Amino acid sequence: MRILQLIKLNLSVVVLGLFTLEAFAAEPILIGLSITRSPPGSVIQGTQIKDAMEIYADMINAKGGLLGRPIKLVIEDNQGLPEKGRSAVEKLITRDKVVAVTGAHQSSVCLSEIEVAHRYQTPYVNTNCWADSVRIKGYPEVINTSPYNFIVADSMAETLKAMKVKRVVAFAENTDYGIGLAKGVGEALKRKGSTIDYKFETLDRSSKDFTPAILALKSNPPDVVVLTMLPPAAYIALNQLYEQGVAPSPKTLVYDGAGMADYPDFWQNVKDAGKYMMTIGMYHPDMKMNDLSKQIAVEYKKRTKNDPNRLIYQAVDSLLVITEAIRQAGTTDSAKILDVMRKSKFEGARGLMTFDTFPGVSYQQWAAIPYVNYQLTDVNQAVGKTTLLQGPGMPLNTSKITMPK
Amino acid sequence: MIKTLSISNSKLWRNRLKFDFWSLLIVLLLMCFLPLLDLSDYTLGILIVAMYLAIVAMSWNLLAGYCGQFSMAPAAFAMIGGYIVGLSDFHAQLSLWISVPLAIVGTAILGALLGLTVTRLKGPYLSLTTLSFAEISRVIISNSHEYTRGDQGLNVPSMINDRLSYYYFFIVLVLLTGVFIYWLMRSKLGGFLLAIRDDQEGAESKGIDIVFYKLVAFTISCSLCGFAGAMYGSFSQLVSPEMGLLQQTGLVISMVVIGGIGSLTGPVIGAILVYLGSEWLREIGNIQMIVFAFVVIIFARFFRTGIWGFCLGLKQRLLQNHHE
Amino acid sequence: MLFLDLTVNGLIMGLFYALMAVGLSMIFGVLRIINFAHGEFFMIGAYTYALIATSFGINPWFTLPLAALGGAILGLVVERLLIRPLYDGYRSWSFVKDEYAVVVTFALSLLLIHLVDKVIGPSPFMGPSLFSMQRISIGPIMLNGQKLISSGVSIFLLISLAIFIKKSLWGKQIQAVAQNRFGAALAGIDPVKTTALIFAIAGGLAALSGALLSPIVNHSPDIGSFPAIKYYVIVVLGGLGSIWGSMFAALILGVLESYFAVYVSYDYRDAFGLLILICVLIFRPNGLAGMKGREI
Repeated sequence: MRILQLIKLNLSVVVLGLFTLEAFAAEPILIGLSITRSPPGSVIQGTQIKDAMEIYADMINAKGGLLGRPIKLVIEDNQGLPEKGRSAVEKLITRDKVVAVTGAHQSSVCLSEIEVAHRYQTPYVNTNCWADSVRIKGYPEVINTSPYNFIVADSMAETLKAMKVKRVVAFAENTDYGIGLAKGVGEALKRKGSTIDYKFETLDRSSKDFTPAILALKSNPPDVVVLTMLPPAAYIALNQLYEQGVAPSPKTLVYDGAGMADYPDFWQNVKDAGKYMMTIGMYHPDMKMNDLSKQIAVEYKKRTKNDPNRLIYQAVDSLLVITEAIRQAGTTDSAKILDVMRKSKFEGARGLMTFDTFPGVSYQQWAAIPYVNYQLTDVNQAVGKTTLLQGPGMPLNTSKITMPK
Repeated sequence: MIKTLSISNSKLWRNRLKFDFWSLLIVLLLMCFLPLLDLSDYTLGILIVAMYLAIVAMSWNLLAGYCGQFSMAPAAFAMIGGYIVGLSDFHAQLSLWISVPLAIVGTAILGALLGLTVTRLKGPYLSLTTLSFAEISRVIISNSHEYTRGDQGLNVPSMINDRLSYYYFFIVLVLLTGVFIYWLMRSKLGGFLLAIRDDQEGAESKGIDIVFYKLVAFTISCSLCGFAGAMYGSFSQLVSPEMGLLQQTGLVISMVVIGGIGSLTGPVIGAILVYLGSEWLREIGNIQMIVFAFVVIIFARFFRTGIWGFCLGLKQRLLQNHHE
Repeated sequence: MLFLDLTVNGLIMGLFYALMAVGLSMIFGVLRIINFAHGEFFMIGAYTYALIATSFGINPWFTLPLAALGGAILGLVVERLLIRPLYDGYRSWSFVKDEYAVVVTFALSLLLIHLVDKVIGPSPFMGPSLFSMQRISIGPIMLNGQKLISSGVSIFLLISLAIFIKKSLWGKQIQAVAQNRFGAALAGIDPVKTTALIFAIAGGLAALSGALLSPIVNHSPDIGSFPAIKYYVIVVLGGLGSIWGSMFAALILGVLESYFAVYVSYDYRDAFGLLILICVLIFRPNGLAGMKGREI
């Protein structure tokens, strides 16, 4: 099946490519992608980002390209390793001479890659690295269309406070994202003057057994277990929480801070354990969809047979910022593009993006990223059927939360 | 009184070593001319990382190829060396002039300690202990977020700003390492190490203090790895726990085996070819790791003495023909 | 209560470790080499199980032996192609034997991981459970149905293996070759066939362990590396080549890890096992019940 899909995908790309080649004899504008395509990194994320960006690139080329030239994505595999990320981005910039680099989805790799982008003063659009440290560095070349730990932590703290719970335990993966977010939630709670007893436990994401940590909660389970972990460790943790009867239970709910409910392999890996899970989400079908996102959704479903999720739109928006900036600047010169990126507004698939340069955790970050909070109420539930606890820009409605019997 | 072993006097061995050393010089000389091909910063960067790995490979060869101690910790020591420099910068803002010697001394001490624990072990026990040590250090560094920033890694200040200068700097480093090891192996110490490798009981019966010499080999090898790690950290300006992954050690070992174990030049050509190969395979697309692994297997299976051994064999055959 | 829970959980994990470690220990015992690709046998077993059961809809109970068979075949192939040169007529190998084994098995593990990743895909998989209840209460303890059944199967397998080695003809041949290869050959045993058998058994056991764990650990192509380090610890703790030793060491490590994780620190849980290893090697190098490997 996959091979057939691959052939179809390649055929359509080839046809489109031939079409665009015919239409423009001009040299393509090269945009670099540094994603993970082999272990030990998260290959699923890398594939989703690549697919989404290819869709958008094809859309642009079908409409005549940029400045009379087609755009071409140059894709490099960073394997989820910082050293490979460094050499991948260096190759993209110095050998392939790309106009900008994007696609990053793992914070530790991102941190080594922005060093290279900074050295060569090439625009670097961060697709999905949530870590605060990427922003705090303050490199002027880095534009962030990705969600960021600060705002996710803030929203989760707000939710916890509104739920009026007393004790919360968080399981964080031992990465910058996991620990940063878990710490962030604690700090946000303090900021909001909450009296919730909050603590977090760091787990090794390469481990396959978290039962001991979970067992320790069994005698006195908290009201909410927050998860700031990524798959596959997150799936294992969820399964083991369920197996031990810790969460979900009439007393305890799981609250996910990674937005994995819309991953294509989520339900097949957690089955019963995913029911009743609350989660923060960067995307929900109930969110207002503009024409662009509708188009993307249709095309993505056609090509991959999967429903789109937030990562798809994040990827499209990253590429969009680059292409629109080039279009508005009328040139591929780095400094001019960056200037446009900082000053302009971009109508992306998720909404209107702006990047202000206030130093700190939201430096050159799209601060007003839309998000929602929702709860899964049934096994194998599609995101569209979940209960929206908080729509975009609306207050949280905790009465909608369902507890298991 | 310990008599000098015949091996270090053996003409054959000395000539071979000398030939080895001169080949190394020639290889390095050739590398000096590479930039004339107008290589991009990216390619130079790849060669620099290859040279870092070459130094680690040479250190590992000293321990395993020349002394028979099959350690699984070279990458871990490189990581530790890099982290000593990184931590010095992060917590105490020490300059590289202080932190690099600190890295060398620190890894030497740790290497000596490790050597002490394994000195009475042999074969798989030795490998497993060093493997455990490597993994423990990586897990500790990776999980001590308060001190090491975990998987974010630590920033290391750079020494030189120009990529090309860095390239020549690393060539010099490889040269110095090669000279040092050559000098070591020419001396009496070298002879003892070889004796320990070939026949430990026999060496002991001749009165050689094998515990002491194994310890020396460990200390030197580990501190060289640490030094290499510190230099690499300064080049890439970032040290992260991935430097010490078992996968990296496997890579280093592959380089030595493919290049030719038990020689000076072997590890260097192995490092350059293997690392260049893994980058070049990027072009083929994402089956690069599969191809790389396959190539390593073929080499290990059919070219046991490595490329260097193969070349040596060629040379001898040529000489024979010449003498006929 | 927590203590009991932890002990039970630790023992269960220990059983799974044991399935893997026993195979590694056998390979060690006979060939004195480290097999870096052992974790990948585990992975192949898990994938074979998950894929066959979901694609062909075969009852999971029938798929288990299929997965084990797959592992055994892989073991045989690896032995024939890659390991045989180590001892079959290549006399000059003694110098680089260890290095060769490491390089070849390390490269093999990389090859397998990336092959699976390319051909099957990188997403985590979850095989069908043998027993569909995700939660069972036994007294005060809550267990996953799959874990319970798998533990039962593991115990059965381990005991069968022990009996096999001790009593059967093949088992005695294995013991002979492990003790003295040359001597066994003199006695008329074919060391090559015996080694092949050992690889088949080790591969099959590891694959079976993977299949049993498939519904529990959402496995992706790189899952083999998780067990790998632990198994080396267990094998040395238990004594190279001793099956009973490895089994007990596995159980002990499982339990101690659980305690350590909760009572001391979760972060360093994996490092803990390795620390034990170093201590044991210094103070009691033969492990709990192993053969002589210490030198002086």
